[in-house]
Amino acid sequence: MTAAAPAPAHPQFSASEFALRAASQALRDAFAGDADGAVATPWQSYICNACGYIYNEADGDPDGGLPPGTRLADIPDDWACPLCGVTKADFSPYEAPTLEALRAQASAAPAASIRVRGEPGVVIVGAGRAGWQLAETLRQHSATLPVTLVTACAGDRYDKPLLSVAMARQLDPLALVSETGRDAAQRLGLTLLAHTHAVRICADTRQLRTTRGVLRYGHLVLAHGARAALPPGLSPKMCWRINHLDAYQRLRQRLGSQPKDVLIIGAGLIGSELANDLALGGHRITLLDTAAEPLARWHDQKAGPQLLDAWKDLSIRFEGGLQVQQVERVGLRYRVTTTSGRRFAADEVVVAAGLLPPNRLAQGAGLAWANGIAVDSTTLQTSVSGIHALGDCISIDGQCSRYIEPIARQARTLAAAILGQPVTPYEHRAAVVRVKTTTRPMTLH
Amino acid sequence: MNPADLPTQLHLDGALRGDALLAAVRHIAQGPLAAQVEAIDRTGYYPCAELQQLAAVGAMSAHLDSTAGPADYGLAIRAMAEASRVCGATGFMMWCQAVCGLYLQQSGNLALVGDVLERHASGAGMGGTALSNPMKSYAQIESLLLKATPVEGGYLVNGTLPWVSNLGPDHYCGAIAAVVEADGNTSQREVMFLLRCDAPGVELRECPSFSAMEGTGTYALRLKDHFIGTAEIMADPTRTFIARIRAAFVMLQCGMAVGITQGAIDSMWAVEAQLGHVNQFLEDRPDALQAELDALTARVMQLAQTPFDTSTDFFIDVLDARAHGAELCLRAAQSALMHQGARGYLMSSDVQRRVRESHFVAIVTPAIKHLRKEIARLSIEEMPA
Repeated sequence: MTAAAPAPAHPQFSASEFALRAASQALRDAFAGDADGAVATPWQSYICNACGYIYNEADGDPDGGLPPGTRLADIPDDWACPLCGVTKADFSPYEAPTLEALRAQASAAPAASIRVRGEPGVVIVGAGRAGWQLAETLRQHSATLPVTLVTACAGDRYDKPLLSVAMARQLDPLALVSETGRDAAQRLGLTLLAHTHAVRICADTRQLRTTRGVLRYGHLVLAHGARAALPPGLSPKMCWRINHLDAYQRLRQRLGSQPKDVLIIGAGLIGSELANDLALGGHRITLLDTAAEPLARWHDQKAGPQLLDAWKDLSIRFEGGLQVQQVERVGLRYRVTTTSGRRFAADEVVVAAGLLPPNRLAQGAGLAWANGIAVDSTTLQTSVSGIHALGDCISIDGQCSRYIEPIARQARTLAAAILGQPVTPYEHRAAVVRVKTTTRPMTLH
Repeated sequence: MNPADLPTQLHLDGALRGDALLAAVRHIAQGPLAAQVEAIDRTGYYPCAELQQLAAVGAMSAHLDSTAGPADYGLAIRAMAEASRVCGATGFMMWCQAVCGLYLQQSGNLALVGDVLERHASGAGMGGTALSNPMKSYAQIESLLLKATPVEGGYLVNGTLPWVSNLGPDHYCGAIAAVVEADGNTSQREVMFLLRCDAPGVELRECPSFSAMEGTGTYALRLKDHFIGTAEIMADPTRTFIARIRAAFVMLQCGMAVGITQGAIDSMWAVEAQLGHVNQFLEDRPDALQAELDALTARVMQLAQTPFDTSTDFFIDVLDARAHGAELCLRAAQSALMHQGARGYLMSSDVQRRVRESHFVAIVTPAIKHLRKEIARLSIEEMPA
């Protein structure tokens, strides 16, 4: 470490300004003593809530008729803020923060800043498995290509499938992160724009508009995944949807350590795994589905009966053939009513009714859409040049695939295409599904 | 049904529509308004007569349903752009006048949608909007500055609003106050009302000088036990009302950005013949900016088809179009100054004035930073608290 001169307390002021300030402070101190020489309350500063003007009692507001040394209490009610005209009623006590405190506050902000010059490189929207996998693959083949990752969340890396087995494996939800976004970005030498929302693609100028400014791109890759669907009529304020670490952590925090009644709407893969895991964690589960059995998609492999059999000793009540009509708050609990008039009470309601990719970005850019962002089955190119997509947000021949296995192969195809290397065409094939219901794991085809 | 219960049809004489309106606005902007631009900017001349001429041809009422035709937001925005191309401050005052008309018509209050709205739409009455603070309050950026205490037949309103534009001693504006409960606590409810500058308990106070906006009739408004009754109420409570008009409110501001950007591009072409040989080395050349502006204008015209769509996705789209307008306006004005060089730097040049106007588009509520913060807030998936 090199020896550095002590940092000035206020580096933005020159030495002569400091001397002036010191002199005026001495004057203020002299004013602050009362007639008997006793030290009175130090001068206070107040900030205008409307415009940010700072009134210092020592300085007063001579232009506004307040001589130096006028206390806030002594300011007449009709005095006006010299900048915006509000009265002293709209002022609050103010203590100037140190520059160090301000710097600390600014560095806690999540985002890196946007590069405005140089090669635009690759911009990836989404920092889930697909986004990070592509970034890793690109880096393996090019050490210099500028890569920017834009994500609405913190960008921390974790294995999403663990969200449905965390209780059984006694994993602390806060410890599911395997690498923070910041660390991964540093390791891979890329720019991570965390807590940043991609708002609109301007394909004609190759720009991505975000909530932290405009990014130019050479290649744009959409890897923003899908959102948990919420059936019409259900309020997002009352129903959890577990498709991200953040929501999962908050649900776990809410459930706390005491057993709770949890009602899960949807007994597909996610709903069944969550039911299994939360029951193993000691909660009482009611699992509803429109179909007569859980995992009805795999009816011909008898997945449902096997699962129900495995759950015999768990506190999971499955109710099939029910369509939820309404969720209401009743006191501190919720009442769930079905179209057939059945009612259930629960402490928390979780909806696991499938995934839908958000379509605003794609539609704004005029990308072809078929249940997801339509991509070429071999190149993963969208209908607009320079824009590609992979992972949960895409559809191939109208079919979506929401599994982990294809992502690495998709990333290899895309990275080669972006880097102008020989491309191994992506091959779309049916996925094998492993049901992580730990009481009886199953493999389905 | 009693005919008196039917909503009043806004009657407009002499208001033009379509290309005829745009031609008339261009004529006023490039004639009488252009003659006053320097006075508006340098000496704070409030262009009351020019605004009234614009209102008389229908420039600030195209977005209202009237005898002249159904509401046309695209036309209102293009009219504002034509004036802003010459004078950004005037474009801003047209927006103030236009949104005040929007509040009056959407209030549905029979005391406001009749004579008051008719005088307003024709320019006989002039007014603005004191919704900068409430809009930031709804976006969770600051808290409300006006407080309304319920009394017999209405409310007593107290507090001070900084920087309300298009005001004068006989002007008015739409304002919002937080309702204070009997126990002195602020409730979660607000009331929106027409605030007349000449009413008892209302005082206009001069503000310090504003860059590029000195002629916009901008004052602080101080209210002391100002009574508002049913004849002034625009919305009580306000949340549904604001949810309905917020996209229209923001969308109309795009007219300023489009016009100022176009003015900047005009001034780049103006020196191309002489300076093109050096200007070719600049970024943001006029043809590229024009293409971006045309694409943005087309996007805004599309949004203007459904100004009262209350969906979150639509509002995000409107906020982003407004942000894009501000960003483009900044780049175009800056680049115009680079293109013009010293001649654009003269205080008498519209090019340097437009740089200051573009800064205003970027900082007036909702400023670029507010727009981005609000888009981020609205983009987050809602979950149980």
